[in-house]
Amino acid sequence: MGTLTILHNGWKFTLLLALLSIAFSAQAEVVVVVSSKSSVTSLTAEQTAKIFLGKVVTFPNGRTAFPIDQPEGSAIRDEFYSKVTHKNASQLTAYWAKIIFTGEGRPPQLIMGDAAVRKAVAGNPNAIGYIDKSAVNRSVRVVLKP
Amino acid sequence: MTKLNCLAVLALFSAGISIADADQTASATNNVATEQPMFKLGGFGTLGLSHSSQGLGDYVVDTATPKGAGLSNDWSATNNSRFAAHLNANFSPKVSALLQIDSEYHADGTYRPEVEWFSVKYAFTPNFYMRVGRIALPTFMDSENWDVGYSYTWVTPPVDLYHQLSIPSSDGIDAMYRTEIGDSVNTVKTIYGRNTLDRPNSVTTSREMWGIFDTLEYGQATYHAGYQQRMSSTEYILTGMTGPWIQNSDLSLGANYDPGDWFVMSEWIQRRSTYLSSAMYVSAGYRINKFTPYLTHSQNSSGSFIQSSPPPSAYDLQLANRAQSTDSFGVRWDFMRNFDFKMQYDRVTLSDNSNGYLINVPANVILYGTTFHVISAVVDFVF
Repeated sequence: MGTLTILHNGWKFTLLLALLSIAFSAQAEVVVVVSSKSSVTSLTAEQTAKIFLGKVVTFPNGRTAFPIDQPEGSAIRDEFYSKVTHKNASQLTAYWAKIIFTGEGRPPQLIMGDAAVRKAVAGNPNAIGYIDKSAVNRSVRVVLKP
Repeated sequence: MTKLNCLAVLALFSAGISIADADQTASATNNVATEQPMFKLGGFGTLGLSHSSQGLGDYVVDTATPKGAGLSNDWSATNNSRFAAHLNANFSPKVSALLQIDSEYHADGTYRPEVEWFSVKYAFTPNFYMRVGRIALPTFMDSENWDVGYSYTWVTPPVDLYHQLSIPSSDGIDAMYRTEIGDSVNTVKTIYGRNTLDRPNSVTTSREMWGIFDTLEYGQATYHAGYQQRMSSTEYILTGMTGPWIQNSDLSLGANYDPGDWFVMSEWIQRRSTYLSSAMYVSAGYRINKFTPYLTHSQNSSGSFIQSSPPPSAYDLQLANRAQSTDSFGVRWDFMRNFDFKMQYDRVTLSDNSNGYLINVPANVILYGTTFHVISAVVDFVF
């Protein structure tokens, strides 16, 4: 009886682990994408950070870069910035506050949702965005898995 | 500001809001839109209170504030309270303009709104622009964004150094040129212009003001170097006397290292007018979720008179002697999106021959060499 209970609990535990691992793998995994028509094939986290923080306006190959952001408060945005720029949401707001209110620049354009970002990126060879890995299709190319 | 000006500004801003709103809806329905809205309205503000244990003088953080915590008020809101609205207009990829209206405590003792910055920018390339108008001066690392409390960790940039920022803006032109050098990004700015600054008992006019400023960003590190000079003359309101034109210059060096979870930064400056003085600070902080505790040490030196300058008056000597040092600790709490709450404690020690930057100290009171304590709390926001 005791053995059965342990066995039973063991099964429960295994099931829990399995569920947890599914939950974790299903959690947002951000990837950086460009149009499949773009000449850019890969980027480093530093290069991507510079583009999204407005420090450079071109890809390393010299082509104009047009970054597309997801809205403030979205999980994918927070994941992207914490992995690529090591800034949390308030550090990022503080960073842009300095730039906006001194008239030096504006943050990237906002588009809401992975599907809409993918569509915008696919249609513009200069665009660069970040979406969940599960939203990637042939219209876009993954250039960084941070 | 006249009534007409207020109306014009209001009209401009309401137009900005409606256009910005319309554009947001447009981009929501048209997902492939790749253009930013023409107008963007934003703003920022700070509500703050500070208290000083030294009741015989007012503790202020800049030269334009006529009173602060201590003598005039037990708890004072004047040092850190302000509200600003900012309108940015992108007429084309090359032409843009900005208008910033700011309400903060002025030399005349009011919170009367003022045009803090207004400029028109022409971008020859995304990495090279020129502007005309009233432009912020990057004299020190955080002088352009001094008013934007949300943009830095402290309650206020270290007073012993930033109190020496005498000119906040320039009416004239500036140019920016940015280049990538390997993995680093270098930004050079130059300015030329003039300024009139109201202080509690004087008006300082500056002309032939020029400066060159360089910022190098490499990885998580930022380096800043700047040089600025001007001819300035001060008119004293009480006596009606106008001082001679004196060449002033500011030299500054700064560095900031911020890998994300923590930061350390430092600046050193040297000011030259009829006397030479310097200031520095070192500050470090550690980010734990929404909390950022930090420590700062800052100090300045009393001025030494330059031999070629005319013999200093008693008042000049008093100004030059002002020196103090401060040890601070505080914490920034990002309690909700676009808002922060900060508390800071400062232990201020005055030099042996001055009342430091305390103002309104009665003529018969000498506070040389004394130490006092300041507590400040602020809420910053951006929108």
